[in-house]
Amino acid sequence: MMNSMIIGKYVPGDSVIHRMDPRAKLLVIFIYVFIVFLANNSATYAILSVFTFSLVVLSRIPLSFVLKGLKPVIWIVAITFLLHVFMTKEGDVLYQIGSFSIYEGGVKQGVFISLRFLLLIMITTLLTLTTTPIEVTDGVESLLGPLKKVHVPVHELALMMSISLRFIPTLMEETEKIIKAQTARGVDFTGGPFSERIKAIVSLLVPLFISSFKRAEELATAMEARGYRGGEGRTKFRQLVWKWTDTAFLAAVLVLAVVLFALRS
Amino acid sequence: MEDTILSVEKLSFRYPNQSDYAVQNVTFQVKRGEWLAIVGHNGSGKSTIAKLLIGLLRPESGVIKLFHTVLDERTVWEIRRRVGMVFQNPDNQFVGTTVEDDVAFALENNGIPRDEMIKRVHEALRQVQMEEFLHHEPHHLSGGQKQRVAIAGILALRPDLIILDEATSMLDPKGRQEVLDTVRNLNKKQRITVLSITHDLEEVAKADRVIVMNKGEMMAEGTPKQIFALGTKLERIGLDLPFAVKIRDRLKQRGIPLSSSYVTIEELVEELWTLYLKR
Repeated sequence: MMNSMIIGKYVPGDSVIHRMDPRAKLLVIFIYVFIVFLANNSATYAILSVFTFSLVVLSRIPLSFVLKGLKPVIWIVAITFLLHVFMTKEGDVLYQIGSFSIYEGGVKQGVFISLRFLLLIMITTLLTLTTTPIEVTDGVESLLGPLKKVHVPVHELALMMSISLRFIPTLMEETEKIIKAQTARGVDFTGGPFSERIKAIVSLLVPLFISSFKRAEELATAMEARGYRGGEGRTKFRQLVWKWTDTAFLAAVLVLAVVLFALRS
Repeated sequence: MEDTILSVEKLSFRYPNQSDYAVQNVTFQVKRGEWLAIVGHNGSGKSTIAKLLIGLLRPESGVIKLFHTVLDERTVWEIRRRVGMVFQNPDNQFVGTTVEDDVAFALENNGIPRDEMIKRVHEALRQVQMEEFLHHEPHHLSGGQKQRVAIAGILALRPDLIILDEATSMLDPKGRQEVLDTVRNLNKKQRITVLSITHDLEEVAKADRVIVMNKGEMMAEGTPKQIFALGTKLERIGLDLPFAVKIRDRLKQRGIPLSSSYVTIEELVEELWTLYLKR
């Protein structure tokens, strides 16, 4: 149950988007996040939406999965929409309720800003849906590579991330085991007043922390025994391959940027 | 001189802030192709010896020579490349996110080129019969399978010596059997030297030679048969005799004429069912 919560996001597949180099995906999203702000009229928003939905179609992931990713932010989007509708006083008055009046410009602005929000979330959801966490880690490590020159511990950070990913299921299993063990000893995790439940959580966290520290120490020993001594002189087993499709996607997002820039009012 | 790959001379070690020695004046040799077992109760210093051997701890006094090279700060990484160690907890030594990543970990550390890595990962996994699990994640494997992956991770470096530090103690009987069979296969067929540190006397029965440790000192050394002949002496330092040896001794007490030369259950059964014919 808990497994699906955190790493169940990735939907295995073999689409063009799945096979993209994670570096290309990250770069496309990075550029996208900026050019989303270029759009400011119907034409540019239409083009932006078409581009985004084409990517979703290309990923061959059911739209419902992508929409699920929007759920947590839907309230923020709704509030933003309403704020713009009520606060913007431009264009003709469309509707009048008491002292409040809704302007045409307000509705337009509300729709645009909400759309901007939704498109951003959609494209980032698409990344997590089509890329395994370890691919993202490799991509980030590779892209941040140049920062090693200014002594940013890029390799160490990436290794930390990949080890954390590797241990999530292990720690989940352990948590479940401790919950069962403590339940058998009379701890009630589900009911009781709030203060009692906090106490119950403590009886779960303390053993979990202790065992995690022990694990960390043993893992460090095992890594050292297997010859780990930092990123220096290390080769990589997992390799990222930059294909022509990656260049194509990158070019597409750059063309999009130019078009948006030309058409914005 | 026979080919000695590991020699330990007068090794002593104390943990910081402790007056008692964890390992005291230990001397032994391991020959190429041999399976040596070090047994002892908890706290007998056997795991400390393992950590000293690959330079995870530094001895207070004494010399460790691997492949005729003295272990020190300069040689430790070269020695770690040639000596593989399997630890007790299957989970806490699994570094990679998948089986193949984990096997490749030590290769990556040693800067092996990628093409060579792919070849060696497959080869190593084949040797432990885990090739079909290449892309599996660790939480989908059993304990015995994880330990076999750990062994593959070591084999990929083509080591001369494998140290098992209680590698089977957290496994169920089936997993233990899998791991021991794998190691025995490597020992017999590929002549890889094995040093197994254990308190499981069934595991000891499979070794060529045994060292018994008690309170940091060597108490006895010999073949499994010689060691099991010590009987109650072993039980006094907290070690249990193998089931077959116990049964044999009880039967002999009852006047059943059994030889005292075997140590495994198979040998016991063999002797029992042929006993009637001998009369």
